[in-house]
Amino acid sequence: MVRRDLVCAALGLALAAAYYAAADAVPRSLLADAVGADGVPKLLAIALGLASILLGARSLAGRAADAARAEAGLLQHLRALGVAALGGAFVALAPYLGYPLTLGLLLLAATLYYGAAPRPRVAFYAAGAAAILWLLFARVLGIAMPAGILG
Amino acid sequence: MPELALAWNALATTWAVPAAFVGVAWGIVGGASPGISPSIAMALLLPFTYGMEPVAAIVLLAAVYVGAEYGGSIPAILIRTPGTNAAAATVLDGFELHRQGRGGEALGISLVSGLVGGLVGLVVLVAATGPLARFALAFSAPAYFALGVLGLSVIAGLSGKSLVKGLIAGLLGFMIATIGTDPVSGVARFTFGSPDLLSGIRPIVVMVGLFAVTELMVQAIEPPWAKAEARSARLKLPDWATWKRLFRPQALGAAIGTFEGVTPGAGGTIAAFLSYNEARRWSKHPEEFGRGSVEGVAAPECANNVVTGAALVPLLGLGIPGSNSAAILLGGFLLHGLAPGPTLFTKNPEVVYGLYAGLLVANVAMLVLGLVILTPCLWLVNRPKPYLMAFILALIVSGIYALEASLFDVGLVLAAGVLGYGLRYFGIPPLPLVLGVVLGFMVESNYRRALVLSGGEHAIFWQDPISLGLLVAAAAVLALSLRRELKLARAEHRPSS
Repeated sequence: MVRRDLVCAALGLALAAAYYAAADAVPRSLLADAVGADGVPKLLAIALGLASILLGARSLAGRAADAARAEAGLLQHLRALGVAALGGAFVALAPYLGYPLTLGLLLLAATLYYGAAPRPRVAFYAAGAAAILWLLFARVLGIAMPAGILG
Repeated sequence: MPELALAWNALATTWAVPAAFVGVAWGIVGGASPGISPSIAMALLLPFTYGMEPVAAIVLLAAVYVGAEYGGSIPAILIRTPGTNAAAATVLDGFELHRQGRGGEALGISLVSGLVGGLVGLVVLVAATGPLARFALAFSAPAYFALGVLGLSVIAGLSGKSLVKGLIAGLLGFMIATIGTDPVSGVARFTFGSPDLLSGIRPIVVMVGLFAVTELMVQAIEPPWAKAEARSARLKLPDWATWKRLFRPQALGAAIGTFEGVTPGAGGTIAAFLSYNEARRWSKHPEEFGRGSVEGVAAPECANNVVTGAALVPLLGLGIPGSNSAAILLGGFLLHGLAPGPTLFTKNPEVVYGLYAGLLVANVAMLVLGLVILTPCLWLVNRPKPYLMAFILALIVSGIYALEASLFDVGLVLAAGVLGYGLRYFGIPPLPLVLGVVLGFMVESNYRRALVLSGGEHAIFWQDPISLGLLVAAAAVLALSLRRELKLARAEHRPSS
């Protein structure tokens, strides 16, 4: 945990520096008040930098915050990130395939990804669940879901 | 008692009772759907009220608000997804209880605490509209800033074992809140040329990502669930011993919810977090908080349901909508040619007292519908993990898209999920980040407005009595949390005997 806290402190410092630089680049408006659009963000960046330094110093002094726990390996982390990738695929495909079809594919892929055996009932489930959600959002709530190039 | 007669007449001669039941049912469905906020659930019904009689229309909209604020706790407890902003504080202990096979108990506590809160809010609304509305009118920019600071001071109490990590999380949340158009000058900040970021990042997107998407990611690497025991899959109302234990957190939630509810702009989220923190401070079992505490569910649920009644005080008394939901309700009033404010009580008393009676029916409806709906909900979340997880992912992307018909928001919620996974990896608590996101804009905009008013003099923050009182309260909360942190640190370093 000590090493992890050090990495966290380093990331925090890097973020604080990048955020400060971005705040510094905010254009000055003629309508600006005394604090300015960059005033509070710069203060936040400095506070984050200080907190990160404090975290790093504490971890170097051996004050780990959490007890050791079961660690996930790199492959497991990648597997977890795969869930976000499935969502990303929905974002990429929905404008082309439309909401009902993309959602059905997402449900099919996610059910298999979480460990369901590849059987016909998974496909039926995906189609049924997609239909229910389409009915709820597009028909009952009347929200304009992505129509796709065929819609 | 002409007021009672007016209230009874509204119930007996209009469609107010069916409207209350329909509104609560709709609100529960909306609140339980991640991404559908109470105000959206109300807004979706607003056009349908046009042809209705005024009393039934206003009761319908208010009942949606009641149902949605309660409904937000259902996914918070069962799938770690706060259906509304205010339900974020319920996630912490509600989901832990569900994980321990006590989901039915958590839902029962949430239901009765919501009912208690709703009834307290109604009493506050009926009894205190006049004087409390006058107090709310005294709030100025420095007081709003101080109110936000009081909310942020809770971060210290939500930081778990490391105050520094809680502070880092809070700062990250505040940074996210600065994305978008600057509240004073109108300059775009941290948008990197993207028009989608000009209006900032909605707190609900961050919350759903941090809690729900992160949980979905974690579940992808966890082993399959054991099947829940039959008794844990049934709604369980609290017994007498639990009721006695819930009294204190509910009282705290009621008091804090009343204060936050009558203050325009404060809302149920701050009330829920403050109540959670105070319930832990005053609990005889603070060590249970975060590990499945019944008090940790009761306090925020009571507080955010008090707000549903108390938030109508400034709307009815002054015509000031203090929240998005109150603004939609104001739209309902205007749609029917009614102008909320002091004259409403003299010109249209039947609407005011009809609304009071309708809110009472709505709270009863919440109990009845809650008892009917919750057991099927428990059954649903005990389905095989792959099917349930896939459905939740589909529900999240659909619900978040529905907010603004924006796939960009869906991308943001996924990014927030990855951020939440990173936070978990580094042992950083997510709740302070949520508070930073929710309160950041309020704190910054009112800080700067106050300084514009004072010509740059910071003395304005202690010259305003309300601001001074709130800042002193924030300092007290911080001092108590720091004392607790120091005590913990000393205990860790003490050689074990």
